[in-house]
Amino acid sequence: MIDLDPQMAAALQTFFEESRELLQDMENALLFMENAGADSERINAVFRAAHTIKGSAGLFGLEEVVRFTHRLENLLDQIRSGVTDLTPVRITLLLSCGDHIAGYLDRIATDSSLDQVFLAEDLRLLGDLAAQLGSSPVASIAPAIAPALAPTTLALTIPPSPEPEFSNSPGSVQTGNWHISLRFGRDTFRDGMDPLSFLRYLEQIGEIIGIVTLTDSLPALSQMDAESCYLGFEISFRSSANKAKIADVFDFVKESSTIHILPAHSQITAYLQLIQQLPEADQHLGEILVSVGSLTEEELQKALTLQDAGNQGGQHQPLGEILVAQKMVQEPVVQGALEKQQQQREHQVVERQMLRVRAADLDQLVNLVGELVIASAANSLYAAQSNAEERVESAAQVARLVEDIRDGALHLRMIDVAEVFQRFPRVVRDTARTLGKDIRLEISGEGTELDKSMAEKITDPLMHLVRNAMDHGIESAERRHALGKPAQGCISLHACHDAGGIIIEVRDDGGGLNREKILGKAIEKRLVTPEQQLSDQEIYALIFAPGFSTADQVSDISGRGVGMDVVRQNIEAIRGSIEIHSTPGAGSTMRIRLPLTLSIIDGFLVKLATDTFVIPAESVEECLEYPEQQGTVGYMVLRDQALPLLHLTRVFRFDAQPEKRRNVIVVRHGQSRVGMVVGAILGNQQTVIKPLGKLFDQVPGISAATILGNGDVAPILDIPALIHHHTSAKHSY
Amino acid sequence: MNMLPAGDGTAQVEHWGGQYLIIQLQTESFGVDITAVREIIAYVVPTQIPMMPTFVVGVINLRGQVVPIIDIARRFGRPATAIHKRSCITIVDLQEGESRQRLGVIVDAVNEVLEFSGEQIEPAPQFGAGLRTEFIRGMAKVANQFITLLEMERVLSLDEMAQLAAIAAGAAAGA
Repeated sequence: MIDLDPQMAAALQTFFEESRELLQDMENALLFMENAGADSERINAVFRAAHTIKGSAGLFGLEEVVRFTHRLENLLDQIRSGVTDLTPVRITLLLSCGDHIAGYLDRIATDSSLDQVFLAEDLRLLGDLAAQLGSSPVASIAPAIAPALAPTTLALTIPPSPEPEFSNSPGSVQTGNWHISLRFGRDTFRDGMDPLSFLRYLEQIGEIIGIVTLTDSLPALSQMDAESCYLGFEISFRSSANKAKIADVFDFVKESSTIHILPAHSQITAYLQLIQQLPEADQHLGEILVSVGSLTEEELQKALTLQDAGNQGGQHQPLGEILVAQKMVQEPVVQGALEKQQQQREHQVVERQMLRVRAADLDQLVNLVGELVIASAANSLYAAQSNAEERVESAAQVARLVEDIRDGALHLRMIDVAEVFQRFPRVVRDTARTLGKDIRLEISGEGTELDKSMAEKITDPLMHLVRNAMDHGIESAERRHALGKPAQGCISLHACHDAGGIIIEVRDDGGGLNREKILGKAIEKRLVTPEQQLSDQEIYALIFAPGFSTADQVSDISGRGVGMDVVRQNIEAIRGSIEIHSTPGAGSTMRIRLPLTLSIIDGFLVKLATDTFVIPAESVEECLEYPEQQGTVGYMVLRDQALPLLHLTRVFRFDAQPEKRRNVIVVRHGQSRVGMVVGAILGNQQTVIKPLGKLFDQVPGISAATILGNGDVAPILDIPALIHHHTSAKHSY
Repeated sequence: MNMLPAGDGTAQVEHWGGQYLIIQLQTESFGVDITAVREIIAYVVPTQIPMMPTFVVGVINLRGQVVPIIDIARRFGRPATAIHKRSCITIVDLQEGESRQRLGVIVDAVNEVLEFSGEQIEPAPQFGAGLRTEFIRGMAKVANQFITLLEMERVLSLDEMAQLAAIAAGAAAGA
């Protein structure tokens, strides 16, 4: 749909990204106001977002977006000026409009056409917007009525009080005499216009205080062409209308005629005030002047054309000078606007300290840092072997710096979990409405950081769990009332770090999982037999079976039974796990455990027979000597508690003889703590995670590999999988 | 890639003309499509990964990348390749769906690169080669002798090997 050179295409891409962020900001602000009530700061934020999108879309010639956003902006403008209240209905409408703009952007980005459904939505929203705007039309969309149509309204006087439509527009100036300088074009009569009718029409929006007809361009009678117009007028005009409104009067002759509309001096101060009140966004001088109403769009275009034309010699005449020279704006106003622009720019320097980086570049950097870590480990190793003290010291220093670089590089890839959570208020709100339930969302654990790629992959499963909890978990208001619970249900999202992983919880205060119902359904679906003895955990886990759904009614939200198994698959695909905790009558908690998937971890190196293995240091609690007298019982006593032991050589089927000296590494995962029996302990080292690939996916207990300082490959143990396998199999190795 | 139907087999085989790296496995020579071969390196001792099927010897560090090493003789159901001083590892890049997979294959020797025209290549025999037919791309005739051209995508099919690995791991864990 758009054919652009690469530079423009890149700019367009940035526009899409920024617009989506703006729409997200808009949504956040709206949702916040829905709960906490309207505040002017957020209304301004919403307005700014819409305005920026409109402006940028205009630059790319995305007319549909401009047209739609413009209507949206009209409503927002009314809300901003307090003429219209921000009611829940309007919030819903504004949210839908935000979605709709996102829809436009998606379709433009993917080059797909605007289909019937979309256009129908377009019409519906525009209709709603118009309805919300109420009866007062906004000046900018009501074009000047052709003066010829209203010749009889000459006697009509202006309303004594300013019309509301004017008082709320940013360019309105309460009083003052405008000076209008008109030079009608030669072809005015031939174009079917009558200068007089414009003057009559002008009287409708104000009062002509004085008028001078200029006849100096009128030639001698013999040379005069009766069909040409030689007239000019200097008019002193009193009106509360803004400049754009006045300029609109001359809309039909603006092409052929010379029109200057200058405000009286009393208004210069008013403009300056308006300029000072503008929001802090980077605007061009012209934009500033237009937004306070001292300059019209047409005048700006004209001035810019002049600037371009005068640009031949490489000399760039400032726009301000042109505006003053062309009598479009008085000099003090231009000065004021320039000062404002300076302020805005300074403000932006503080705000724009973010940098967009391509994800691929970042990955490349992290990979290189990984190589650097390996190289640094080798360096330290050789330095230690050489026994030269200075070399050891400098190697240690390099290693320290590399560690800092590693942390910094990895941090670049991390995003706050709040970014994942931020779309949920909207989801919960919309789902709650669809379900007809009153549900609030509580979010905690912002500040927990996780890898960006992980964040992208966890959003969909989370979304599903939240919807599921709202649909199946939280009871209807009547039922909650009967149970003595608060009528408003609560879904909470929580995130935290735990033992080298991230935990994300979706909690609801609903009825909890119905153990009997799940079991009944599972038996009916032949997933289990009635004879099987199952623990609560095992029964809850049945809901992750493909095609399982206990909902009696299939709703829009959930109940088709396609979800939970996909949720589990998606979570397991990123090496995560999910467990369910449920208390009948009090609610249930879905706990997702994710690895940090950092590409570099602190590793704890151990020997098994002749091979080196890495245990992630974050899951190691302590190291002990193996109590030889325990023999093969499979447990040892640690501070009066039984610690189950896992003999790794036996787990991995090494045929080697038991080593002479053995050690126990106490590792923890969640609530379980296990002692891993290993050979020698080689100590801590930073290790770069290298994926082992598909071939080794099925090896239980090994998650990846790393490269040691001496170039050898060492497998990294998957502690959660080992513990899980050990405890579920109930094997005593 | 699948077994070639007898009828249009020749038409298919013509397509396979090109350069082949001749590798030696024990006493037999095989041809490997040169476009899949990335490099040949001297033998290094791989790090064992526990609970893998025997044809997965382990992994090596190839300039910072962890590359699985396959004993192709074991994959063919023959005795393990004995390591000696001419042993080397042929690194191949295989297209597997969207991704490229890098694998190392232990060979007894790498002999030469031969060019075969389409006519020199005959379809795989239905039996008698001592290999699964799907592993064979065709038979190239050189000086009254046939060299088996391997279909490396099949021989080193990750899907199949991963399944075998899962079975091996399951057997080890379940025992």
